[in-house]
Amino acid sequence: MLYVPDNVKSFLTELGEIARFSTRFFREGFLPRFEWEEFFRQCYVVGYRSLPLVGLTAFIIGLVLTMQLRPTMVYYGVEVQIPAMVGIAIVREVGPILTALIFAGKIGSSIGAELGSMKVTEQIDAMEVSGTNPFKYLVVTRTLATMLMLPVLVILSDTISLFGAYLGVNLYETLTYPLFFKKVFDNLTYIDIIPAFIKTFFFGFAVGIIGCYKGYYCEKGTEGVGISANSSVVASSVAIFILDLIAVQISDMFQP
Amino acid sequence: MKKRKINAVKLGVFVLTGLVILVFALYTLGKNKTLFGSSLELKTRFRDVNGLLLGNNVRFSGIDVGSVQGIKILNDTIVEVTMTLEKRMRKYIRTNSLVSLGTDGLIGNRVINITAIGGSAPFVEGGEMLPSREELNTEKMLQTLYGTNENVGRITEELLQTVHLINTSTALSNLLNDKSLSTNLSGSLLHLHETSKNASILMKDAIATLQQAREGQGTLAVLLNDTTLATEIKQVVTQIQVLETSSQRLVSDVNQIVATLEKDVQQGDGTVNALLRDSLMAESLRATIENAEKGTAAFALNMEALKSNVLFRRYFKKQEKKARN
Repeated sequence: MLYVPDNVKSFLTELGEIARFSTRFFREGFLPRFEWEEFFRQCYVVGYRSLPLVGLTAFIIGLVLTMQLRPTMVYYGVEVQIPAMVGIAIVREVGPILTALIFAGKIGSSIGAELGSMKVTEQIDAMEVSGTNPFKYLVVTRTLATMLMLPVLVILSDTISLFGAYLGVNLYETLTYPLFFKKVFDNLTYIDIIPAFIKTFFFGFAVGIIGCYKGYYCEKGTEGVGISANSSVVASSVAIFILDLIAVQISDMFQP
Repeated sequence: MKKRKINAVKLGVFVLTGLVILVFALYTLGKNKTLFGSSLELKTRFRDVNGLLLGNNVRFSGIDVGSVQGIKILNDTIVEVTMTLEKRMRKYIRTNSLVSLGTDGLIGNRVINITAIGGSAPFVEGGEMLPSREELNTEKMLQTLYGTNENVGRITEELLQTVHLINTSTALSNLLNDKSLSTNLSGSLLHLHETSKNASILMKDAIATLQQAREGQGTLAVLLNDTTLATEIKQVVTQIQVLETSSQRLVSDVNQIVATLEKDVQQGDGTVNALLRDSLMAESLRATIENAEKGTAAFALNMEALKSNVLFRRYFKKQEKKARN
């Protein structure tokens, strides 16, 4: 029999568990009865309440990216292309990945901790006893909320980031607002926007499902709550990078 | 319950904003990038675009208002540049605006400058070909500057020599040290002033006279305007010329006569010579004249006697009567 190290074995086991958990999500998620109220509440919590943090980060990143790019662009005499370059960078990569990581940090940890504490305090068991399906109520609503709200957050963070970039350009030269956006959109195509938009659904799903899994199967009491919160952030962040790699490979196939 | 409703509204706004932005972005790309007012397209032609790139800025009155959309070589001497400008520039750019290539800073990126030159040309509508102007080439400017520098150096050298000559010249030194020079100069200037004053008065009079003449007053006007006078003067001049010719002929004849007389006198020939030099002739002439006088007196007496004659008395009375009437 092939020897497999314990950590690899546990990683693969966890991966399998997450896959099974995801299957259950798809199996139960689209069957009635739907927990609409909880779903909208989760949408508000994971989406709307994440906007200030995501927006601030996006604005700063847009501004800083522009300022950092400028010396090199000036060196090569192509500073007129800064809006185009920043636009492509933000829309294709920086916006989605950065927002997803911030989202994983904020929402992944909160879901892991919330569900973990519910698990260790046996609230989930209590729900089962009372006839409420805890998977539908807790996991499906949260995962759907993260899956649907992250794309919206990414769109808004891209926009805010471009405003930051516009400010960054105008710190050194005078460029009107319409002209800046014209330069940005002149160099964007559908192949830049659509794959970047689609992959954010997967990022959102990864953050939600991993956070829920880590919390749902939390063990070791209060210590386990911290572990589940922490590991849900780490695992969802890694998942985001892996999904991003796959998404880039796929979108590259459609590049002209 | 109320709080939950507000949360729903906030969530709705949040999601809707995201979706609107997404649709807006996709629509912008689909509409061939015209949503940000970039539909104003203008063209121009250059002989040499000097490193202009796609995406370089287009400036109007120093403000970035667009970018270079296309660069196309038409033939060996013409390059056509297509610019895309903000739609609102339709209100500011006229069809006679001049397009020139410039540089952002001294050695920065190439930019296209659109300069308004005024006038009443119509505003652009899109697709117009704007006239272009050759740029101020930095290299050419530096070459000119180099030439100017050389000239300045040469002038400085010559100026130095001139100053040296002035400093070492004794004549100039004497002139400068001559204290009476200023007095003389001021005297001269005073005279010059008076002269100019007189000249001014003279000019005034002349102008007044000319003014009178122009208005048809005074002798000068008559002289200038009377055409018959001019004809008469011409006739007089012609007559004077004729007279002069006759006089010359007369003088010539007189000279001839005098010459003949002189010749006669010298040779002792002719009547004049006899009159001037022959004493017998003179005596005879005098006796002749005396005889003539005597004869005349006798004739007068005879005539008196004739008047009292019966035959002629009547005739003489008739003559006296006619003379009285």
